[in-house]
Amino acid sequence: MGRLPTLAWLALRNLGREFRRSALTAAAMALGLALLIWSRSLADGAHEDWIDAGVRLGEGHVTFTASGYRDSKSLDDRLSAAQLEVALRALGEVEFPDAFATAPPLASVRVETRGLASSPDGALPVFIVGVQPSVEPGFSRLGEEVVDGRYLEEGDRLHAFIGASLAERLGVRTGSRMVLTAQSASGDIEGQLVRVVGTYRTGVQGLDESLVHILLATARAWLGVEGATSVAVLLPNSTFTDPVRGELDSATRPDGIQVVGWPESLPDLYAALQLDDGGDWAFHVILFIIVALAILNAIFMSVLNRKRELGLLRALGLSGGETGLVVYIEGVLLTGASGIVGVALGMVIVFVFFRDGMDLSGLMPDDINFGGIAFDPVMVPVIQARHVVQSVLLTATIGLAASLFPAWHAARLDPAESVKVE
Amino acid sequence: MATNAATRSAADRAGPDGPADHAVRTEALWKIYPQEPRPVEAVRGVDLTVERGEFVAMAGPSGSGKTTVLNLLGGLTRPTRGKVWIDGLELSALPDRKLAAVRQNHIGFVFQSYNLLPMLTALENAEFTLMLQGVPARERRERVLRLFHEIGLEGMEHRRPFKLSGGQQQRVAVARAVLGAPALVLADEPTANLDSTTAEALLDVMQQLNRDKGTTFVFSTHDPRVMKRAGRLIRLVDGRIAEDVVRGGG
Repeated sequence: MGRLPTLAWLALRNLGREFRRSALTAAAMALGLALLIWSRSLADGAHEDWIDAGVRLGEGHVTFTASGYRDSKSLDDRLSAAQLEVALRALGEVEFPDAFATAPPLASVRVETRGLASSPDGALPVFIVGVQPSVEPGFSRLGEEVVDGRYLEEGDRLHAFIGASLAERLGVRTGSRMVLTAQSASGDIEGQLVRVVGTYRTGVQGLDESLVHILLATARAWLGVEGATSVAVLLPNSTFTDPVRGELDSATRPDGIQVVGWPESLPDLYAALQLDDGGDWAFHVILFIIVALAILNAIFMSVLNRKRELGLLRALGLSGGETGLVVYIEGVLLTGASGIVGVALGMVIVFVFFRDGMDLSGLMPDDINFGGIAFDPVMVPVIQARHVVQSVLLTATIGLAASLFPAWHAARLDPAESVKVE
Repeated sequence: MATNAATRSAADRAGPDGPADHAVRTEALWKIYPQEPRPVEAVRGVDLTVERGEFVAMAGPSGSGKTTVLNLLGGLTRPTRGKVWIDGLELSALPDRKLAAVRQNHIGFVFQSYNLLPMLTALENAEFTLMLQGVPARERRERVLRLFHEIGLEGMEHRRPFKLSGGQQQRVAVARAVLGAPALVLADEPTANLDSTTAEALLDVMQQLNRDKGTTFVFSTHDPRVMKRAGRLIRLVDGRIAEDVVRGGG
C-alpha cells in the first residue's frame, strides 16, 4: 500500500479531468443524501410531534405506577403517599444536559379510573382523570382545544372538563350538571355530581367521547385515594425516555414502583411509528438503489471509455488490483465529496423549514389521526444526529458498493487488449 | 546499410549462456488464441535472444505476430507455451503483481498512439514510472528536465497531451519509457502516425538514447525508416521468425 498516495493522486486527477461527469455523478448522490436527511428530519419531527401529542394525553414519556397497576388498572394497586414521595424525589435527582435546564421534566400526579357519566339523557362509559390544574396546562393540550367554556382551575372542586362529543351525546353543555359514577378504593360504587366547566375537541373521536378531567383533590376525596394511580412525566424530548426510565427504575424498583417508557404505555403509537419508520427506510433504500445504479452506470461507462488508458497504466507497472483500486478510489472520492455536500445541502434545506415547518394541510383531510393521535399537518423537521449518521452511512455504503463492480472490471482488463488502438 | 549482414537462425543466437546475460531471451514461445472455428496460432515457437544495447526492428506483414511477440516480451500477455526472460527474470510463471513490477522496473513501452495519460502534463507523464519506482520528487524533476532538454521538449513540461503534436507526444512517451532505466524498451509501431520529418526526429532521439545510454530497443514496425536504422532486423511470417539479420551499427 506504499503506492496508495500515487494511486489516489491519479484517481483525483481523473476526476478533475472529467469534472462535469464527476460533478454530475456526485450531485446525484449529494442530492439523494440531502433529500434523505431532509425527509428523515421531517419524519423525525412528525414522529416527535405524534409522541408529544400521545404522551400529553396522560401517560407522559415515562410513567410511575405501583407494581401490578398496569395489568389490573385497579385502585387497589395505586401508589401510596410514601411511594409517590419516593417517585417524585427520584425524578428530582435525574440530571439533564445544561441545554435542557430551562425545560425541566414536568410531573403530573394523576388519579385515573373508569366509570360512567350520567345525565337526564342517558349514561355513557368514560375515563375519568383527576389532575392538578397548576400542572396540567403545561402537560396536556386539552386546554388548548376548548370549544366552549374553559379548562379547570384551582377551586373548581365540583367541576369537570369533558369532550364535546360526550357533551353532545349526554345532552349537556357548559354549566350543565352530570353525575360521575365509579368504584372507590373501598370497593363501593360512589357517585359524584359535577358541573361542566368547558368542553374540548381533539379530533380523535375516542377521546372526545370519553375523557373527563376533574381536579385531583376531587378525585382523591371522591374515590378515597391518598396517593395516586400514576405519575406521568414529560421529558424535554422523547430521546431521553430510555436513559431516564432506566435511571428512575433502578432508583424506585425497591419500593415496589414500576417505571415504564412511552413505547410500553402507548404500544399502538409505538407500533404505528415503527411501521412508518420501516416504510420510510424501505422507500429510501429503493431510492438509493436507483441512485446506486446511476452511479454504477457513470463509473462503469467511464471505465469502458478509458480502457486504453487503464491498459497503459498496466503497461507502466500497475497491477490489475492497483488499476482497479484507482477506479475504486475515484468512487470513494466521489462518495466522500457527495457526503460532505449532501450533509451541508440537507442541513440548509432542513433549516429553511426549521422555524415554520412545512404545511401539508392542503394535502390532507381535517381531523386525520394516526395511531390514536391527532395529526398536525404542519411538519417541523427535527435533526437527530443518529439519523444523519445513518443517512450518511447508507449513502457511503451505496456509493462504495456501486464502485465495486467498475473497479473489479478495471482490475480484470486484459492489458494487451486494452492498449490496442481504439 | 546492410553491410556485414549475416543471417542466423534464432536457435543459433540463443547460445549456451544463461538468460541473465541477455536483455531478452525466449524459448519455444507460443501464443494461441482460442477462437472459433479454429484456434489462432499468433506466435509459433519463437526462440529469440536480444543482447543489451541492441536496436532491433521486428518487421512482417499484418498478422505475422509482431505485436503479439512484443506483448509477450512486455509481460502484457502470457504465453500459451514456452518461456520469456527479461533481464534474466522469467516472466511466464510470475503472478500479476510481480509481473507488474517487472514492467515497471525492467521494461519501457512506446505504443503507436494514445501513449500518454490525458489527465497528466507532459512532465507528469514522463516522471510517472519514476514516481511508481519511488524516486523522490526533486530527483524525478531533475531527471525529466535534463532529458527533455536533450530530446527537444524544453518548454513543453506543463502542457497536457492534447496540447502537444503527435511527434512531441511520442517523444514524451520515449522519455517516460527510458527514464526508469529499463533493460528494454518495446516500441509498437511508434512512427506509424507520424509524418516523415517527425518520424525521423523521433528515431534520432531513440537512436541517441540507444547509443548514449545503452538502452535496448525492440520495435515492431512496417516503417522502412525504422528498418533502415535498426542494427538487427527480424522478419516474422505467420508467427515464426523467418529471417534474423544482424547489420553492424544500428
